Amino acid sequence: MTQTHYKDLSSRWRARHEGLQKRLWNKHRESLEWLSNNYRQLVSGSLGGLMLLAGQVSNFLPSLHTANAQTSIVQEIGKKTFLISDLAKILPEDVKPLGVEEEQKISDILSRTYDIKVTPELDGKRLNRSYGIIGAEQHLVRFPGDNLSSHFDSEEDKKLYWQQGMAPGLGAWSYFASSKEALTQKDKDREKYYIAVQTFLSKDFNSKFAEYRNFYKYRKMLVVNPNNGLAIVADIADAGPAEWTGKHLGGSPEVMHYLERFDGKQKGSVLYFFIDDPDDKIKLGPVKA
Amino acid sequence: MGKKYFYTHIIDTSTLSLEIGNMDLTPKERLELISLIDSNIHHEILDLILSELKPEDKKNFLIHLASEDHDKIWKLLKDKVDNIEGKIKKTAEDLKKELHKDIKELAD
Repeated sequence: MTQTHYKDLSSRWRARHEGLQKRLWNKHRESLEWLSNNYRQLVSGSLGGLMLLAGQVSNFLPSLHTANAQTSIVQEIGKKTFLISDLAKILPEDVKPLGVEEEQKISDILSRTYDIKVTPELDGKRLNRSYGIIGAEQHLVRFPGDNLSSHFDSEEDKKLYWQQGMAPGLGAWSYFASSKEALTQKDKDREKYYIAVQTFLSKDFNSKFAEYRNFYKYRKMLVVNPNNGLAIVADIADAGPAEWTGKHLGGSPEVMHYLERFDGKQKGSVLYFFIDDPDDKIKLGPVKA
Repeated sequence: MGKKYFYTHIIDTSTLSLEIGNMDLTPKERLELISLIDSNIHHEILDLILSELKPEDKKNFLIHLASEDHDKIWKLLKDKVDNIEGKIKKTAEDLKKELHKDIKELAD
């Protein structure tokens, strides 16, 4: 859209709005004036009421000629704010599986916001859901002999993530590397930014086990906290959690920390969609809107 | 992010948000267009509702609106207007079509 198109659209919608406002006042003047005279203080405290009594569009819309203070507030509103707002309009009140149409809209929004192509279904395969409650997982053993003493690259990481501990068993694909010497940065990132998803609840999982196992192995997913717009590129490195837990996926300590999600009573929801990245160009880790 | 208006949960404006989101605009410009969508829908819906209510009911509705008491608004509307949800949805859908048409016309 060019600047001319934007200005034309803006002025057309402003004109439409002014027409609607005039019509409303002409038709219902008596009631609106009564409200204004008797409940002005109440009206001025609510957005819906304020819009009713505003005499001109520019009184409450962020016009191009707004004062400096107002402009600075508007400029702070970035993609993340739009993302949170757009998702809130689409997501159901309860955390439940999304419909096909909802998933499509959300895929479009996430792909646009993060400039990463995401989809609920890839190569004809999909998980049991794309919106669910995330729980906290522990660190995974990356190579034979890996433990909390050898696990962290920095003292800061150690402080932040030591207490979550190591999982007693291996991840779904066993070790990330055959030895400490063979461990690459990619292997480290795969463990650091892993999620566990309910692969076993995928349709046809049992009848096409090998095919699904290969598909899910380190498959990249975009995981988004819809309440704050924080997002991370994660990979599938484990299966779980069990259905009886009431949770639908799990995040590594690093994933949970970044998304600002917690387990227990404070547990919350995330969106998780496959990333279409056939050339393996997208890096694991946090992404900005 | 909370629901702004009493009807927000039955109206889906995401198709318009998506179109606006795909345009090459500054955040300020996008916000302006989205605010215009919101306020256009708001005024259409208020006109619809006030046109359906009797004078005394109009006053009660406006008080509930100003005090943002969504439960009381819905109780009043469901008591006084047949199929109010359907009417609100249709009003919003009709306007959305017009707004989509505007976007398309000006982009061509």
